[in-house]
Amino acid sequence: MPDIDDRMLDRELKKGSAELIILSIVEERARHGYEISKLIEARSEGQLKFHVASLYPLLYRLEERGWLHGRWVEKAGERRRRFYWLTSEGRRVLARQRETWKTFVRAMGLVTGVEHA
Amino acid sequence: MPDISRGAEPRPVEPKRDWAHEIRARLSPLNLDAAREMEIVEELSQHLDEEYEELRQTGATDADARRLALEELLGPEALAAYMRPLRQARVSPPVQPGGPRRSLLRDLAQDLRYALAALRRQPGFAAGAILTLALGIGANSAIFALVDATLLRPLPLPEPERAVMIAERTAASSDERVAPNNLTDWAERSRSVETIGGFMGGVGGMVMAGADGVAETVSRQWVTAAVFDALGVRPVAGRMFLPDDDRTRANVVVLSESFWRARYNGDTSIVGRDIRLDGENYTVVGVAPDSAQLIGKTDLWALVAITGAPPRARASHVFRAVGRLKPGITLAAADADLGAVASALAQEYPKTNEGRGVTLVPFDVAVIGADLRHTSTLFLGVVAFVLLICCANVANLLLARATARSRELAIRSAMGADRSRLIRQLLTESLVLSVAGGALGLALGAAILRVAPSVIPDGLLPPAIALAFDMRLVAFCAGAALFVGLLFGLAPAWQATALQSAQALGQDNRTTVGGGGRLRNILVAGEVATAVLLLVGAGLLLRTLLAVQNIDRGYRAESALTMMVDPLGSEYPTPEALLQFYDAVEHEVRALPGVRDMAWATTVPMGMSYEGQRFVDMGGDPPVDDNERPTADYQVVSPSYFQALDLPIVTGRAFDQRDTSGGVPVCIVNEAFVRTHLRGRDPIGMRVAIRSDVEAPAREREIVGVARQVRGRPDETDEFEQVYVPMMQDPTGDMFLIVRPATGSASALAPSVRGAVARVDKQQLVSVRDVMTLEDVAWEATGRHRFRAVLVTAFAALALVLAMVGLFGILAYSVQRRVRDLGVRRALGATTGDVVRSVVGGAARVLGVGLAIGVALSLALGRVLESMLFGVQPVDPVTFVLVVAVLALTALVAVAGPAWKATRVDPVVALRSE
Repeated sequence: MPDIDDRMLDRELKKGSAELIILSIVEERARHGYEISKLIEARSEGQLKFHVASLYPLLYRLEERGWLHGRWVEKAGERRRRFYWLTSEGRRVLARQRETWKTFVRAMGLVTGVEHA
Repeated sequence: MPDISRGAEPRPVEPKRDWAHEIRARLSPLNLDAAREMEIVEELSQHLDEEYEELRQTGATDADARRLALEELLGPEALAAYMRPLRQARVSPPVQPGGPRRSLLRDLAQDLRYALAALRRQPGFAAGAILTLALGIGANSAIFALVDATLLRPLPLPEPERAVMIAERTAASSDERVAPNNLTDWAERSRSVETIGGFMGGVGGMVMAGADGVAETVSRQWVTAAVFDALGVRPVAGRMFLPDDDRTRANVVVLSESFWRARYNGDTSIVGRDIRLDGENYTVVGVAPDSAQLIGKTDLWALVAITGAPPRARASHVFRAVGRLKPGITLAAADADLGAVASALAQEYPKTNEGRGVTLVPFDVAVIGADLRHTSTLFLGVVAFVLLICCANVANLLLARATARSRELAIRSAMGADRSRLIRQLLTESLVLSVAGGALGLALGAAILRVAPSVIPDGLLPPAIALAFDMRLVAFCAGAALFVGLLFGLAPAWQATALQSAQALGQDNRTTVGGGGRLRNILVAGEVATAVLLLVGAGLLLRTLLAVQNIDRGYRAESALTMMVDPLGSEYPTPEALLQFYDAVEHEVRALPGVRDMAWATTVPMGMSYEGQRFVDMGGDPPVDDNERPTADYQVVSPSYFQALDLPIVTGRAFDQRDTSGGVPVCIVNEAFVRTHLRGRDPIGMRVAIRSDVEAPAREREIVGVARQVRGRPDETDEFEQVYVPMMQDPTGDMFLIVRPATGSASALAPSVRGAVARVDKQQLVSVRDVMTLEDVAWEATGRHRFRAVLVTAFAALALVLAMVGLFGILAYSVQRRVRDLGVRRALGATTGDVVRSVVGGAARVLGVGLAIGVALSLALGRVLESMLFGVQPVDPVTFVLVVAVLALTALVAVAGPAWKATRVDPVVALRSE
């Protein structure tokens, strides 16, 4: 397996598919920002990490596009938190991007000979 | 000292980490919307908090955890760099409410946006305020339509200010009818009046047989040729009457526009054709617009010729007259001019015109009438008060809200907003409310106007005057909305912004009601006073209605069917023929099952009197001047009349078989007649000279009986003198058939009675009209009183509910604000009674002050209402006691909720709140 620069992967992934990652994270249920960042870290086994300075502007952008819907939720005895839901538009975008991503990964595999797991 | 903090857990001391400062510094280059920036700061601070906590839990030191968490924000510019492409960072720097002055228009848009958002946050408050305003404005718009139609809007005539009503004036009355010869002479000799037309007040029906063979009863009014010119109306089709029609005594009629459209589908070819009216041919010369019906509701106008009237006609005062002033002539000038003409006539014809002057009244004043003016003004006053209460309630809501928002306002003020800017923001909110309330109120007013025609009693509005939903009404609503918006918005805005910022910021929101509370108490006391005023008015009018409805009508028959039967003159030309017809119908009707009795009469009690007033002279009394000759209501009745209506004969006898056309002329008079004219003499055997006009030959009649007093109108206060004459001795064409049922409902007899008429002469069925029961007649006669009483009562109830909502509002609010105070009292051992007393005490004071002011105002109000009252004194103890009781009872309901809530305050919970 060829050695790929961690930082490069990080940059590439974020550039092309940061949106896809976030949409996937909130797919099954609404989550707040801290939860989203922790989940990304955990599911990528520590390889991906979004900083506060980039994660939230990204969330806001997705919200402005109408793919996410953010709302303050209050629970008894806790501070209110802002939760993000996947909108129906977001759900459609997620499906389309998944398809594109699969095609891209398959093509990369064929061209570079890298087998994917 | 009791442990008042029992149950309160000590809060963990939270580490002081000021992420907000760091984040705000990084966001500052973006110039975000203030509210948005606060949200982002809150959200990111939370994230950093959690990051920090997690790091601490994994063993990092405080300093390390803080440093690592801050690294999440990357460099000082990263956050702004990521944010900059977003829309929210690109918006033009928005105005902070309360920020320094910028463009007026942008400020306004911003104020509006902010106001809408603020109201959306409190939908309950907004809905309550808007509904309250809609009720007030809706009620006002409906009444405005009435006031506009009756008091404000000019009559639907060209140059209505030139139209005047002209009457003869005597020492006894300023509103005498006009003799035809005087009418002609006035018009010829006056230099200030262009033309004068006459019309006969009472509108009678006639049977019209159309060319198509359909016979029907139509209403017609007798007029002189000049009447349409005097009104200034132009023909819709054909022409109006001409002087030539008068000179040739032509049989001509003019149709009213609505009749022409309904009966002839607006066909212009009817002009010039003949129609048969009461068996005679009349030529239709034209169609007049409906505005001509301002002189009386009618289907058509028939010409009465007055040229060459005989000199004795100068004593027949039969016409009401309408004149048209020459352009630029004032009423006073015309009055002086016609007055001079009248005194010249008095010198020329002293026998008839001595002491007769003229009275000129603007036509609109005469048409609308004092009664309707009073009613309109009364309603206007009433709804204005209701609107004031609505304003007070909304102002109260706003005041309470403003107090709760004083902190927010103080912060903005501390950030540099000047006071005028804050006031404008708050005013915008109240204007948004009032505009929404106004729009809803307009819809409500439109709905009220839609059902109004079925509620307004017949005859209250003059013909040709209708309540309209038009731009004037919309403009009124808009004006009212704007006015109330400013009125109820200004005080709260002023008060809310009066606090010094430091003072407001220092406030811990737990104190009892302060200055705003006083203003609110004054408002509610005002509401209570207004409600008391309206309730007293409603009570007086209801008592009047009761008095009028329960009046002793004089007759005892509990129920009877009445209908007008008007046999065609062409079929029954002689008195004998008429009497035969009446006899035959009587025979048929008496044979009907379920008929107890029946009678013929020209009058129904409290209804129409077809014969009207006749001049009466008591035989043996010194002769009276023509102008002061007394009159009495002349009624032609069949012998069974008194028995059928169960109207007692107190002295003497009823009519019987002796009283035929060939017998001694007799009459029966009523008690008022005896009191006025007999002055202690025995009425039986006295002779009365009766004549239809002062010049007509007198007919002497012997009094054979005295009937009990019967009322002509339900609210008459003068003695109503009546003379009954047997039908056999003076048969006439317009008679009411009165049928008294054996049992049950009188109206159920209507079909069989019609059948009986048809069996005698099927053709005459067409002349049967006005089928009613005596109850219907009495109900219609009391219509105006009912209309007033019901409407004012409805408004008073609305006012009461609103005032109680206001009372409830201040109490509920003060209890909510005093939870901690009440908790302390409870903890210190106050009983439930103490708490209730402390809460209710304030309410009782407000209520008491309002009640006292209301009662004082009501004492003055009684005098204003006096002319509308009957059978009740303006200062009526029963009404006042009832009003106080109603108020106390409803106040109990309003106070109960908050008081109960106050007693439920748990000291523990109360002290932990805030």
